Amino acid sequence: MAEKVRPGKGSMRARAFAARAALSIIAVGAFAATSCAADFDWKKFQGKTVTFLANNNPISQALLTHKADFEKLTGITLKVDGYQEQQMRQRLVTVMNAHSDEVDVFMTLPSREGQQFAAAGWYADLTSMSKAEAAGDYDYAGLSHALLKAATYDGKLTSMPMNIEGPILYVRTDVFKKCNLEDPKTIADVEAAAKKIKACDTSITPFVSRGLKPALPYTFSNVLHNIGGSYMANGKSALCSPKGKEALDTYSRLLRDYGPPGVVNYSFPQISALYRAGRAAMSFESSNELRTVMEGGARLKDTTLIPFPAGEAGQVPTAIGWGMAVSAHSKQPDAAWYFVQWATSPGVQKQMAVQGIAPPRSAVANDPEYRKWIDEEPVRKQWQAALDVLAAKGSSEVGYPIVANPESREFIGQAVQDLILNQKTVDQACADADKGLDALIARK
Amino acid sequence: MSGAVAKPTQDRQQLELGALSAPAVVFTVAMIAFPVAYTIWLSFQSFSATGKQSFAGLANYSRLITDGEFWHGLWVTVALYILSLVLQLVFGVWLALVLFHAKRLSGIVRSLFISPFMMPPVVAALMWLVILDPSLGAANYILTSVGLPPSDWLASPVWVIPTVALIDTWQWTPYVALIVLGGLQSLPPSVYEAAQIDGASALKTFQRITLPLLLPTIVTATILRSVDLLRFFDIIYITTQGGPGNASNTLNIYGFRVGFEFFNIGYASALMLTLTAIVFGVVLAFNRLRGAVAW
Amino acid sequence: MTTTTLDDVWIRRLNSLQLVLAGVLIMAPVVWMVLSSFKPSFEVTAYPPTLIFAPTAENYSQLIRTTPFFSYAVNSLVVTIGSAGLGLLFGIPAAFAVSWTRISWPAVLTLAARMAPGTLFLLPWYVMFRQIGMIGSYTALILSHAVITLPIVIWVLLPSFDNIPRSVFEAAQVDGCSVTRILWRIALPLVGSGIAVAAILAFVFSWNYFLFALVLSNGDTKTLIAAAFNFVGEGSTQWGVLMAAATLIALPPLILAMLVQRWLVSGLTLGAVKG
Repeated sequence: MAEKVRPGKGSMRARAFAARAALSIIAVGAFAATSCAADFDWKKFQGKTVTFLANNNPISQALLTHKADFEKLTGITLKVDGYQEQQMRQRLVTVMNAHSDEVDVFMTLPSREGQQFAAAGWYADLTSMSKAEAAGDYDYAGLSHALLKAATYDGKLTSMPMNIEGPILYVRTDVFKKCNLEDPKTIADVEAAAKKIKACDTSITPFVSRGLKPALPYTFSNVLHNIGGSYMANGKSALCSPKGKEALDTYSRLLRDYGPPGVVNYSFPQISALYRAGRAAMSFESSNELRTVMEGGARLKDTTLIPFPAGEAGQVPTAIGWGMAVSAHSKQPDAAWYFVQWATSPGVQKQMAVQGIAPPRSAVANDPEYRKWIDEEPVRKQWQAALDVLAAKGSSEVGYPIVANPESREFIGQAVQDLILNQKTVDQACADADKGLDALIARK
Repeated sequence: MSGAVAKPTQDRQQLELGALSAPAVVFTVAMIAFPVAYTIWLSFQSFSATGKQSFAGLANYSRLITDGEFWHGLWVTVALYILSLVLQLVFGVWLALVLFHAKRLSGIVRSLFISPFMMPPVVAALMWLVILDPSLGAANYILTSVGLPPSDWLASPVWVIPTVALIDTWQWTPYVALIVLGGLQSLPPSVYEAAQIDGASALKTFQRITLPLLLPTIVTATILRSVDLLRFFDIIYITTQGGPGNASNTLNIYGFRVGFEFFNIGYASALMLTLTAIVFGVVLAFNRLRGAVAW
Repeated sequence: MTTTTLDDVWIRRLNSLQLVLAGVLIMAPVVWMVLSSFKPSFEVTAYPPTLIFAPTAENYSQLIRTTPFFSYAVNSLVVTIGSAGLGLLFGIPAAFAVSWTRISWPAVLTLAARMAPGTLFLLPWYVMFRQIGMIGSYTALILSHAVITLPIVIWVLLPSFDNIPRSVFEAAQVDGCSVTRILWRIALPLVGSGIAVAAILAFVFSWNYFLFALVLSNGDTKTLIAAAFNFVGEGSTQWGVLMAAATLIALPPLILAMLVQRWLVSGLTLGAVKG
């Protein structure tokens, strides 16, 4: 602006000018600072509609209670299609096989289908979007590295983690006390305890875990890794390795000798029902089942939760998580990404945490508000403590790390079931499994 | 009356009859032509892990012939089919007769008798999963209460097929009964009056008169149940997923998993078409029978 | 002349006994289901199973609260009535024609859709209906479900039409009736019980079918049976609510069956032939 120079007041003017200049610089600086933070335009895709195919489990249910927040923040309309897990997968497979753009965002389980879907080209690549097009407070680095790695195939990030979960051991402290037992620290302790409980209390099943063929790799993998085994060695199937055989033998023996009748059909519905009804002393099942197990309150005070006890290789618990992915066939991946990043942001995951969804961010897990919620109930504390171990030491390997992961689980399950049902020896069972698995690995 | 008048009427009749069944035929062809053709085409393709498609000729079918899982699945399917069909026909006819003679039964109670198949099969399976649980279910509770040994039911490799047949029979016997009941209603009562006058016993009446007259209806029920039983899926999918091992792995379950879980669409198509052909053969055979017992 | 009174009593008693036996075997699981719908979920799987318990309506209220139950029910009704109606509309004439001419290939053809596993149709139909933008429309659902109901209608009515003596038709033909008029005026009234059965079965099959709705419906047209699945999942298994959903879902077919009872029992006879 034009300044009238008035003679005689030079120094004051200069100071005024300097002051004004300084003020404007500060003003510009401040403006620049706020606009960097506000640089991220949440309303960029206002008016668009994003379709979300959800697996109707507690995770998405918790997320969707905040749906209105998202729509208000971004002006995007969210269309949700929720189905039970297997139905949702069926629908997803049909939609994707038809190369349809009907679904923009979907929930996925990388540990099971990540490699399979990635090979089929169904995931949009989130690598650059997650770093460059995220809001300032997204804290990409704060997400569990293990889970992010598990969702990365050929250098492409395929989904953002929503939660962390894994199988943990539910232990009846009152039964253990009655039979003069300490909490198991090793796998050998588990078996010893089961044996003692079988003798000391005949009305209760000492140990229960998954025996249903496609479901058991989830829990079996944990035992295998704790013992120090691995599914593959040198590009071939390693179930007949000494550690592999030991794992098969141990897991099947626990279920055969100390498990409930009919355990070969057991997955989470029956296992949780059995433990909740007070009919099992130890239950090795998903951390997600906490709420189901505690329903009715009978088990609230007599349960302790620990990650599966250590084997020769220590504790290598199975830790997986659901992820949010953008469909490669979506016509609006950028708008879809907005939903994904909102849903996996620290703020939303904190809200979900106090709804019982274990967060895949250690920052959220250590958040004081969340800790307050955890501390309300000793069971919750133990649950989170177990999940902390999972987050720190966990492995996402459930089944074979190949594209045909779902099919590989059939062979693992068959081998274990052969042993539970006493239909084959360990050597026979692992040999038959390895044969099929090698063929599967070799299939291109 | 004379030949010259009858002929055009007959042609016109044939035309009218054709027009009566045309909508059904056209509708069906319009809906299933593309899916069937597409599946046939798919069965001649092979899909790599990365979804790359290539022409494979008869490879899927030759794989099918040497696939142990296929033959085992066929055995499971047939065993389950025959067991369930026999049970459902016998009990279905029995139930229809019982309901038929209970003329003074109220409509509401009669409806309750046929209610099991009105439950969604999936929900019925979940219900039985709980009832038949070896540790928590009412079934073993009842058995042990009367001093019988408990059973593993669905978890026993030996008993899983009979148990599944039992669940299906519980649900679908009322369906068979309903069809046979409809047939019973349309039997000419004059025949019964004649039998009564002759002093025939109830059993004789049933054997010599009712049963033969009911055969067309029974064959219909057989055909309708056959197409569903040979494609046995829902109960097994919910309760055992084909297990223990593969003791209850019917062809439909196997084909479904190959296609939807293992993403081997080409082979799955071959499996599904083979199953369809089997069902088609069975239907043709029973249709021939239907013609033979018509009166 | 006729059977003795002793025989009659004996037969009646035997029949009552069989009726009670059948009733118990058939209804016991259904009673279990309804009772369970009034138990909290953890009590459904409690052992020993409880017969005496404090009933709660919480399952039903949760069902109504957490799922759009009413709108799903409306969707199911529209699709079911539409597909059952379409099945009857196309099926009755077709069954009549097949019965008259004794040419059965049209009936076998309509059954072809039931010979193939339902999953065979999923992908092709999805592609087909997507091309014409009908995914999520009632029309797509009605058409796909009609593929199920049509063969049932035809095959249930076939023996009913077969049972009508040819003499009835011949008499009408001499009178100069066209085939169509014979169907609507003469044959149809004689197969009342068959139509009742066909209607019930068409309704039930369409009502309970979920596979096609899985891919052809969207959020707005999702059917009721899809809601039933949601209650058994990892982390959220609710047996009580599932049983409540099952009870409610089984009601409409049951009500229909009760309404249609009359035609089933009225014992329509071939009075036309007598005398």
